[in-house]
Amino acid sequence: MYRNYAKQDVFGNGVELTVRLVSMNTSTTSLDAEDSVVSDESLLIAVGNSQDINAFNQLFERFAKKIFALGMKLTRNEQLANDLIQEAMLNVWQKAPLYDLDKGSAKGWIFTLSRNRCFDMLRKQKRQPNCISADDIWPLESGAEPSLVHDDIAGQEVELSLIESYFDQLSEPQRAVVEQIYIKDRTHEEAAAYLQIPLGTLKSRLRLGVAKLRNLIGVD
Amino acid sequence: MNTEVKLHPSTELLNQFVQGELATGNSVVVAAHMELCTSCCVKAKELQALAVSSWVDPDSALQSDQSGEVDYSDMVAGIVKSAQIKSEAIEALAEVGIDVLNHSIKLPKVLAKAASTGLNWKKVAGGISEAQLFLDNETVCEFIYMAPGCQVPVHTHLGSESTLVLDGSFEDELGEYKVSDFIIRDAQHNHQPRSKEGCLCFAVLDSPLQFTEGLARLMNPINRYKFKKATSRVA
Repeated sequence: MYRNYAKQDVFGNGVELTVRLVSMNTSTTSLDAEDSVVSDESLLIAVGNSQDINAFNQLFERFAKKIFALGMKLTRNEQLANDLIQEAMLNVWQKAPLYDLDKGSAKGWIFTLSRNRCFDMLRKQKRQPNCISADDIWPLESGAEPSLVHDDIAGQEVELSLIESYFDQLSEPQRAVVEQIYIKDRTHEEAAAYLQIPLGTLKSRLRLGVAKLRNLIGVD
Repeated sequence: MNTEVKLHPSTELLNQFVQGELATGNSVVVAAHMELCTSCCVKAKELQALAVSSWVDPDSALQSDQSGEVDYSDMVAGIVKSAQIKSEAIEALAEVGIDVLNHSIKLPKVLAKAASTGLNWKKVAGGISEAQLFLDNETVCEFIYMAPGCQVPVHTHLGSESTLVLDGSFEDELGEYKVSDFIIRDAQHNHQPRSKEGCLCFAVLDSPLQFTEGLARLMNPINRYKFKKATSRVA
């Protein structure tokens, strides 16, 4: 069940978003279907963090026709445009946990997925070689280095107190994420659900935060 | 990142790029330029933001001509059965370099990917070699290597040619082009590229070159044949 609405800068990007704090560990965290003020971002986060089918349905309602229109513009073929709805929304569902709030709006993210799937669909239809795909042409600026994330922060010689003193130099969103993972020992999924941010955002903030700590400590 | 790039894709071309309207060959050459040019990345980001806002604008010209309501519940029900992806698969991209002169040139990632199946170099004329990539049916894409001191016969284009300089430099009647420069030439330009220090480029042609002087004109039917052959390989 949800507790309340809160206007807060949880995303740390200076943008105040109206978010609903959804308590964890319940199967009824679906966002209210009648509520039209729920942002696209909140819906996408609910889909990514808790496979919220209701939220996905709302995204579908908001975007299916737009994806169809984009498909018509790029393919001039009604069948392909309909196929694009399926391809693009499937991709939205599959990749929702990777959505990164720090890198743009949900609309922009869905647009990118739709355009890329359309591009690949057209190439397949024209039987062009698959040596290259849309994701090579428009790479998601992930730069992910997951191996970094679970490494020990530093060698044994580094004083814990030293790390704590550097902690303050992280940005607030980065500190929150590092705290969840390394101090409260939560899993990525738990931390993302707790902080109400997409898993993708959590991972990128963790990566940046850990890299900054490493840099301050002087390892690497 | 090279920030002193002189020549860039036009705003119109970048806009078509972000909207996904370009043929693969043209998309690849623009994407390769963007890997080398911060300012075009920034510009493309802005253009994409504009494209997205007009995409979601209910009053936009881009409207669905889909009539009536369609029931998508089956589609949704099918989709939500799929597993979600929790972390991005990091594809280890083979680094593709091209050895020219005494060094190896590291290619922009998108070109490395496109060339990962291997390059087949052919000597064309005095000091020029080319290796074609087959990316789509609408363009001819090729790496072009000009040895130091060599010169391409005077030619014009039936369509347009986008060239990205990857290493070295070349010049023609209109100027000198260095690494990361993005040059567009079309039917208006009758030009004769030459390179003092040697040059590696990636070029995308919408249609074949037309040589306009001397014996090289004899190659025109061959060029057209080559283009036809290259663009019909799969169809």
